[in-house]
Amino acid sequence: MPIIVNIDVMMAKRKMSAGELAERIDITPANLSILKNNKAKAVRFSTLEALCRELDCQPGDILEFVKEDK
Amino acid sequence: MNIKWTKERSLLLSRALTWAVLALAIAVLFLIPIITIWYDNVSGKEPIMPVLTVCFYLCDILAIIALWELKTLLANISKQELFTERNTRCVRIISWCCFGVAAVFAALTFWRLLALLVAFIAAFVGLILRVVKNMLAAAAELREENDYTI
Repeated sequence: MPIIVNIDVMMAKRKMSAGELAERIDITPANLSILKNNKAKAVRFSTLEALCRELDCQPGDILEFVKEDK
Repeated sequence: MNIKWTKERSLLLSRALTWAVLALAIAVLFLIPIITIWYDNVSGKEPIMPVLTVCFYLCDILAIIALWELKTLLANISKQELFTERNTRCVRIISWCCFGVAAVFAALTFWRLLALLVAFIAAFVGLILRVVKNMLAAAAELREENDYTI
């Protein structure tokens, strides 16, 4: 998928564990893992909002578009 | 006596009926020579024992395959696994079994015209199941998308 989720980077910058982040944004650790491993098919605005709020960043810091080689 | 009809009881009835019909289909497999002789006598015209035997064996095998898939489908439903790829596959196999029976009976039409009616009914059921399969595949895709929306 050409959209890459860079939560790990932001989590490392904020020194926040996956469990803590999952609890703060009110999603299950399993769902956070899906998001971290780029297996998610869509992200709700409410989840993105919570992520940006807790990680103190912009959506662009979390999501990245990478062109696929054809 | 007032028995309350629930979803679980309905499913149990479906499963029991499927098992009963599956047992019957397996029993029929051993009785095909007798059934063929009887049918060949009552259906009149020229005797076509070998053709009838092949047709009945093919249809019974297809019925057993379809019933086995139906049993798997019902087991998955009872496990709350509804819109999955496995279930779509089950319905697709059942649909092809119906088309298979339709083809067998369509071939039998050369000897017994009444077989055309059975072929038409089987093809019609197969077609309906195919549409259900398409719907189930779309539902499975939607469920997956929903599951992976965080």
